[in-house]
Amino acid sequence: MNAIEARDLSKTFRVKQKEKGMAGSLKAVFRPKLQEIRAVDQISFSVEEGEMLAFIGPNGAGKSTTIKMLTGILFPDEGQVEVLGIDPVKNRRKLAYEIGTVFGQKEQLWTHLTPYDNFRFFGAIYDIPNSDIETRIRELADTFDLGSFLNTPVRNLSLGQRIRCEITASLIHKPRVLFLDEPTIGLDPVVKESIRELIMRMNTELHTTVFLTSHDVGDIEKLCRRIIIVNGGRIVLDDSMEHLKSHYLHRKHKENAQPSEVTLESIITEIYKAQSLQHPEAPEPGMEV
Amino acid sequence: MRKYMVVYRSVVMEHLQYGAQIAVGFISYFIIIFIQIYLWNYMYGESGALIAGYTKQQMIWYVMITEIIWFGTRTTTVTKQAAGDIKNGNIAYMINKPYHYALYILTKYTGEWSIRLPIYAALAGCMGMLMVGGLSGFRPAALIAALPVMILGVTINGVFKLSISLISFWTEDSNPFQWLYDKLLLVIGTIFPLEVFPVPLQPLFKMTPIYTVCYGPAKLLVDFSREKYIEILLAQALYLACGLGVLFLLYNRGVKKLYVNGG
Repeated sequence: MNAIEARDLSKTFRVKQKEKGMAGSLKAVFRPKLQEIRAVDQISFSVEEGEMLAFIGPNGAGKSTTIKMLTGILFPDEGQVEVLGIDPVKNRRKLAYEIGTVFGQKEQLWTHLTPYDNFRFFGAIYDIPNSDIETRIRELADTFDLGSFLNTPVRNLSLGQRIRCEITASLIHKPRVLFLDEPTIGLDPVVKESIRELIMRMNTELHTTVFLTSHDVGDIEKLCRRIIIVNGGRIVLDDSMEHLKSHYLHRKHKENAQPSEVTLESIITEIYKAQSLQHPEAPEPGMEV
Repeated sequence: MRKYMVVYRSVVMEHLQYGAQIAVGFISYFIIIFIQIYLWNYMYGESGALIAGYTKQQMIWYVMITEIIWFGTRTTTVTKQAAGDIKNGNIAYMINKPYHYALYILTKYTGEWSIRLPIYAALAGCMGMLMVGGLSGFRPAALIAALPVMILGVTINGVFKLSISLISFWTEDSNPFQWLYDKLLLVIGTIFPLEVFPVPLQPLFKMTPIYTVCYGPAKLLVDFSREKYIEILLAQALYLACGLGVLFLLYNRGVKKLYVNGG
């Protein structure tokens, strides 16, 4: 069964444009110019239940906009999307109970409370009975080794401990799909590795579908068996990791390159470069209304 | 409802750690009231006359109560934080949770004032008793009766302030509107009671939400009457209903216009 289905999904932002200098600023007040940016352009894909998918692309490619449409934060202009058979546009509240989200650059925990109090808070937000919350917190704390800092205020935790708690908080309601947007950003290699192990265990032990965006090749290589690359709002590659590597290895072999030179990073960089010639990076849309 | 109770409890737990800081903030309150006491002492003189129907004690206690409401509800949750959430796109990460963002923010605000307001009320009560003395004819029953009016008043204040912050969905900055509302609240309802203003203006001021936020609770505490009590409660019910209507309308319209940074 498919956990995620996106068909011809599109999203256009209108971004204010301003000519240079004071005259340009004054002109923009009276005659604002808006430029339309096609952030996501008719993309279609599906993700099977229990799959771990890497959804990657250069900055401004449309990754986060796609995640936001899949989670009901943004409304698509065109196309259809279903997550676990639920339309995020029509049933955002219902979908919220089935999915978890972690945005690496955004805190969702209350920093003055302990992880334990935060987990109780999120448990109540997701309407979990008090007795079940306690059991769930114990389970998650054991699974993800949070015991030593469960009662330390979040503001006193290290970044790695905080991210582990962020991910745990998003699992409190047993989501069937977890959206991770750059979960390891800014972490040191050791902590990155522990976060990856946590995601892996979550997938194998809890059978959670994982939709991951990351600029970190290590995340993608160690976690995902399938990769989708987007650029200019379009899907430019949708392939299994294994096939992608063997295909490039075969090609490089013909060019007499050493196999050690063919890394996932070099493959992705090559794809990005090739695509950037066709789709120069679009300016990122700001918060415009 | 349970989830909002948990939000409330979490805010209270968080703010209990700041009890001492809130108490230190009382210094500004003390200075303002100290000046007001001297000002009203000078204006009343020794004659014992009434000004706009208020005795000197009633007038000073009125100002003290309205200033408690002003200081006790002075949190940035419904103003800067809500407007900031919209401007920097943080709201996007909150609307995909199974709660209503506007009610979530209002609950946070309620948690904050329910810590601040009692601290200010206790300290201001001591200050008033020492510097002004008790109100003649004051009945403790008036305090109990005025309590729901005060709670409704600060809630209406939060609803209107949050509604103003939601204007950020359409404008670059809601601060000027917030400033205007604050100043109206300060001048019309806080520093002077309604009866001080010219008679032709009074019906106009009565039609503003400010009448229900500051004037209502303070008036009932210094000069309780059953007629006034019913009138203010009815006005509060009306303003709360209208305020919530405007709030949900702005939120539902605004959230559909949300454009969030793609990266």
